[in-house]
Amino acid sequence: MSAGGAPGDVGRVSLRGIVKRHGTVTALHGVDLDIEPGEFFALLGPSGSGKTTTLRILAGLEPLSSGRVLLDGSDVTDREPGERDVAMVFQSYALYPHMTVYDNIAFPLRMVATPGVDADRAVREAAALVHIDHLLARRPGQLSGGQQQRCALARAIVRKPRLFLLDEPLSNLDAKLRLETRVELRKLQRALGVTTVYVTHDQEEAMTIADRVAVFMEGRVAQVGRPQDIFAKPASAVVAGFIGSPPMNLLPAEVRAGALRVVGADLRLNRPLGADGLVTLGVRPAALRIAPTGIPARVYLIEDLGDTTIVDLDVGGQIVKLRTDQRPDVREGDNVHVAFAECHLFERDSGARRGE
Amino acid sequence: MSASNLVSARRLRTALLVAVAALLLAVWAFPVIWALLTSFKTERDVLAYPPTVIFEPTLSNYRDVMFGSASLLPNLLSSTIVAGVSTLLTLLFAVPAAYALARLDLPGKRASGFYVLATQMLPPVGLIIPYYLMLQKIGGLDTYGGLIVIYLTFSLPFAIWLMVSYFEDIPREMEEAALLDRAGRLRALWYVILPQVRGGIAVTTIFVFLNAWNEFLFAVVLGGNRVRPVTVAMFNFISVEQTLWAKLAAGAMLAMAPVILLGLLAQRHIVKGLTVGAVKGGGRT
Amino acid sequence: MAVTGSAIRSESGRRERRFALLLFAPALIALAVSTTVPLVYLAWTSLMRIDLSMPFLSGFAGVDNYVKMGGDPRFWNSLWLTLAYTASTVVLQVALGLSLALLVLRIPRGQAALRIAAILPIVLAPVVVGLFWRTLVLSPDVGLVDVVTRSLGLGSHNWLGDPQLALISVIAIHTWQWTPFAFLVLLASLSSLPPDVFEAARIDRASAWQRFRHITLPLIRPAIVIVVIMRTMVALSAFAAIFAATGGGPGTATEILNLYAYRTSFSELNLGYGAALAMVLLAITLAVSFVMFRVRTKR
Repeated sequence: MSAGGAPGDVGRVSLRGIVKRHGTVTALHGVDLDIEPGEFFALLGPSGSGKTTTLRILAGLEPLSSGRVLLDGSDVTDREPGERDVAMVFQSYALYPHMTVYDNIAFPLRMVATPGVDADRAVREAAALVHIDHLLARRPGQLSGGQQQRCALARAIVRKPRLFLLDEPLSNLDAKLRLETRVELRKLQRALGVTTVYVTHDQEEAMTIADRVAVFMEGRVAQVGRPQDIFAKPASAVVAGFIGSPPMNLLPAEVRAGALRVVGADLRLNRPLGADGLVTLGVRPAALRIAPTGIPARVYLIEDLGDTTIVDLDVGGQIVKLRTDQRPDVREGDNVHVAFAECHLFERDSGARRGE
Repeated sequence: MSASNLVSARRLRTALLVAVAALLLAVWAFPVIWALLTSFKTERDVLAYPPTVIFEPTLSNYRDVMFGSASLLPNLLSSTIVAGVSTLLTLLFAVPAAYALARLDLPGKRASGFYVLATQMLPPVGLIIPYYLMLQKIGGLDTYGGLIVIYLTFSLPFAIWLMVSYFEDIPREMEEAALLDRAGRLRALWYVILPQVRGGIAVTTIFVFLNAWNEFLFAVVLGGNRVRPVTVAMFNFISVEQTLWAKLAAGAMLAMAPVILLGLLAQRHIVKGLTVGAVKGGGRT
Repeated sequence: MAVTGSAIRSESGRRERRFALLLFAPALIALAVSTTVPLVYLAWTSLMRIDLSMPFLSGFAGVDNYVKMGGDPRFWNSLWLTLAYTASTVVLQVALGLSLALLVLRIPRGQAALRIAAILPIVLAPVVVGLFWRTLVLSPDVGLVDVVTRSLGLGSHNWLGDPQLALISVIAIHTWQWTPFAFLVLLASLSSLPPDVFEAARIDRASAWQRFRHITLPLIRPAIVIVVIMRTMVALSAFAAIFAATGGGPGTATEILNLYAYRTSFSELNLGYGAALAMVLLAITLAVSFVMFRVRTKR
């Protein structure tokens, strides 16, 4: 198994108008996605947003109500999961508990009658790639969480599929392991070059390892793009309120007579405000600072995280978070003002972004 | 209440509890132990009053029961064949059926499930009359084939319900992973699912065998001189004139030896099976 | 151009359903043949007059058998006995089993031995249990029980031969054999209760009886219901133990409905009437199970 894996244009995914209904509930309202070969593509969203359903439809594990699934140009919507040349790592890993690690990894090869010698080589290569080659004789029950996850990965890799599907593979690991494994996953994918679709609810995870991200909200794709683009220009207030740690602060505001009215303060900004009307103001915690003038606020709580500080401020009854590297000279209960260097504006009713 | 009073009150309570528990142990275990003792006595010793605990043990009863004119050995053979084969057949039919009910998109699943449950409700005495008449017509009375097939009636629904609960315990992703690994449904069942319900199959086998071995009504009505399980042969030792006590005890011990052994060896399995069967509904024992 | 959902369900869905049917069919056929067909036959037989002792009288009889049943005192006797037998054994089993389980909970070390003792009665064949009791336990003078009563000065009794005592004896036999079942199931249920709920109750100053009534009982209610349902079904169709112990006698003192049906069919060779009796038993069993399942699913 060489690094470089699948040739350059294999593993192109197209989802066209995927609708999924469950009785009277609509889980997916028409999903369209195009994924390039070799891409690490994340499906990000809160629970129930439809990202896992979309993944399972891609795998062929769930029927859809309407729409098409295309892999490398051919329509696979009707094809069985085993016939799509797709490998999946489940959130629970779904390792076969009665088989050794070796047999688990070898299983997909056995199922297509791969000759023993070739299979053995492939299994050992896959195991070595994820560093579990010393555990081949053990059973899943004897492995740690991280080792089980690698075993599931090896089972997926060994078949050299044209598409990897990962369903929240890191959510069962503890925080430290999650961070380490995240990096390894990314490097592994780069080495193998296989198109990967990755489902997660952890926006930090998606933003750091994916080439592109599709943000799911309530069964719809709210935005697709590179992580830095989504971060810089969230397409809607909902997306904006989901991305970032801590996420963007959202405040009700109004554009009137060329000024932005927020919590009783009129602000004149260095950016076009658009037409008069109700809007939502979005400001990143890192863009806020304590200033002599600006929006009135009261310090509610100071969270000292060591190298950064998060200040929770009460702005007109709503909690707004400010993030800074230098500990500001304030105490809880102080009345202050906050200003910001840059901001985002969204329509109040539709949530759509107001351009600039 | 002083501290020492509290301690002694608690000790008294524990002693009382232990005493009651011991009494219960006696009530349940004693009759079997008594039967065992009796089987080693001579007929005369048995009828002695007050009953003797110390006596001259003899193996004559067992000798008669095994090798005498009314030997139980052919009956043991009958029981083994009938119980063994019907258990095997039951498993063969019930395990796949339970999988279909538990995990697959079986058309008419709810109705089928209900039907299986309903067949367990039928009182056996209601079935033996038609069985008797039907078997008589086709010459199936007093045959192994006839009895074995009839035994399926009560074993199948029970086995299906037990296995359904075991199948339901396996995470759904097992099949999904196997399907993605290109196993197909049949191989997924064989290579991935079945090995994981091995324990359940063992428990089901035990219960089905136990029930079949202990069956009496069907055996006595539908069997005859050729096919005569031990449960029926027990009556050899009781007639209008006399009861051959010690021989009866020996015969009963012999007849029940397999199931007692099974019970002792597989106690944990049995207890687990009872509670599983109880939770998921249905069961003949 | 969108492909509709029904098209997607086509191939893999069809394959799965076909596979499921293939797996289920043998069992279904076996069950259908061995239960539905005989049931129809039984119903038909109950409408006939089949008297193997007087074959010349056989023929279609319509509902005669059922009409006759209405005025048959032996039938009403058997109905009453069935009710008494079923009710008392089930109540006794649950009460005794529960008390025992509660007791044993406090003695962690005795549990293993008690489990073995509990399994013994359950694995024995009911017919053997009936014979045991008939001979070794309940025989006048020499049986265990009589030995005890004699030594206690309560005299000797004909436990199975005395019509007044026979029913009690038979109930005792059934209860003896099956209480361990209730015991084991309830013990498992009690052991699975989370201890923190009880600790919270203790802190809230609930007495032992209050804890039992308001926490324990409601939590093990499902298990009790299951036990009651299963034991009732078994009691309604109990046959071998009574047959071995008394044969339904003395006279008809222990002749519960299914024994009456059996005797009518195979001792008196009146298969038509026996079939009708069996049909009535079937109806009762179905009615009772229906009611019980309703109770169970109501919560």
